[in-house]
Amino acid sequence: MIESPLVEVKGLHFSRGEKTIFSGVELQIPRGRITAIMGPSGTGKTTLLKLIGGQLTPDVGRVLIDGHDVHELSRKALFTLRRRMGMLFQSGALFSDLSVFENVAFPLRVHTELPEAMIRDLVLMKLQAVGLRGARELMPAELSGGMARRVALARAIALDPDLVLYDEPFVGQDPISKGVLVQLIKTLNDALGLTSVVVSHDIPEALSIADYVYVIADGQVMAQGTPASLDVDEDRRVSQFVHGEPDGPVPFHYPAPEFFRDILDLEGRP
Amino acid sequence: MIAHILNLGRRGCDVLEALGRSGLFLAQSAVGVPSREGWYLWLRQMHFVGVLSIAIVLVSGLFIGMVLALQGYTILVDFGAEQALGQMVALSLLRELSPVVAALLFAGRAGSALTAEIGLMKATEQLTSMEMIGVDPLRRVVAPRLWAGFVALPLLTIGFSVVGIYGGYLVGVEWLGVFEGSYWGGMQSSVAFIGDVGNGMIKSMVFALVVTWIAVFQGYDLVPTAEGISRATTRTVVYSSLAVLGLDFVLTAVMFGGFS
Repeated sequence: MIESPLVEVKGLHFSRGEKTIFSGVELQIPRGRITAIMGPSGTGKTTLLKLIGGQLTPDVGRVLIDGHDVHELSRKALFTLRRRMGMLFQSGALFSDLSVFENVAFPLRVHTELPEAMIRDLVLMKLQAVGLRGARELMPAELSGGMARRVALARAIALDPDLVLYDEPFVGQDPISKGVLVQLIKTLNDALGLTSVVVSHDIPEALSIADYVYVIADGQVMAQGTPASLDVDEDRRVSQFVHGEPDGPVPFHYPAPEFFRDILDLEGRP
Repeated sequence: MIAHILNLGRRGCDVLEALGRSGLFLAQSAVGVPSREGWYLWLRQMHFVGVLSIAIVLVSGLFIGMVLALQGYTILVDFGAEQALGQMVALSLLRELSPVVAALLFAGRAGSALTAEIGLMKATEQLTSMEMIGVDPLRRVVAPRLWAGFVALPLLTIGFSVVGIYGGYLVGVEWLGVFEGSYWGGMQSSVAFIGDVGNGMIKSMVFALVVTWIAVFQGYDLVPTAEGISRATTRTVVYSSLAVLGLDFVLTAVMFGGFS
């Protein structure tokens, strides 16, 4: 169904110490679309973004971005490739010693030789797109969480990247900020012709803008499809996650000894 | 018993691995052609690690010079040798006290700040986001701090010595009445530029490299939590101080211990 995907993840295995995070993940991220990667907390969604961005190296498997194997590139080539990517971090990750304006100008200053007047225009355009042109003089410490994320978004798109990776963009946001971010991700993707990857476990928000969805659990792709097809998926694990049911195949209880024996402290006794 | 031996071996491997990592880290950060922007970043760090450390280093130098003169005078006067006070103050400062004490103060004042700053940047994902923008944090964040520390500490050491010698003059000559001519003259005739001043500066450069290296590496390599930052800051001060004192013995043995 996908023609020439921008990002391909093939047979990805990754473990941290003794813990296996991914065992054979296969993904294809189509160009010009919004792809949501969802899954319960702790399934390694952020780790997957770091693997795509080349910050972590898989044990086995490949990540291809526009045909380039991210983990085969030299350090210099990897940094060059990253100029075509933008990443929005959960915390915003703004540079705390630079103002809002300078944060957005940072990628332009380090990667281009543009004159100051043009940098100013570009920065104001990006800030206008996220609605924070008036906040250009503020320092990151003076921003609310939602504003910081919007500034980080303006910075992520400063170099007009091909690919934007969003790490949990809706976490900890009030309903208004959430709505603003949902709309921004959709508008920017369509207006700038981006390819967006949204990692999230906020189901309604992610499903409302995604063109295609991958659900990851237990180190593998548990389900994939359009939002509509996932909504009616009959797999109990998928429906538990998509409909937010507290108990099901993903248990409510952390693995523990049998309750009655535990409470009477019978463990270890005959 | 076997478990203890295993544990010891594992710790040994961990230490070796950390040393290897820090060596690679130093090589990757320190090499590279400085750009115009790099000079600006370096100057900014010179202000933070150098200029802002001037006050504590100079005040300490003054007091240490004054104490040296006071202690030296009470001993030398018994032998009628108080004319040698200038020589004693200058040699003690140039050879030993200035490089060592300035490095210890620098580790406490600037080293811990470097670790905490880089650590906080790591904890708030600023380093990761810089990498994702396509900028190498080793070159942009670590290198200017490393070079600033390497240049700033020897300069601070010079300041320490100058102020210390003046402190000795204040106490010895102005207060205790040692003849001014013998204070300066003794110093002039006994201090060798290369043997004393030069060796002291070599010590200071070695300490500068080690202290700054430990500080930036601890910041870059820490576990990005509040506890991780606090532990790394403590480690910076402890490791730097031990490294400075240990290396001082080795360098003194090589420079003044009759090996050469």
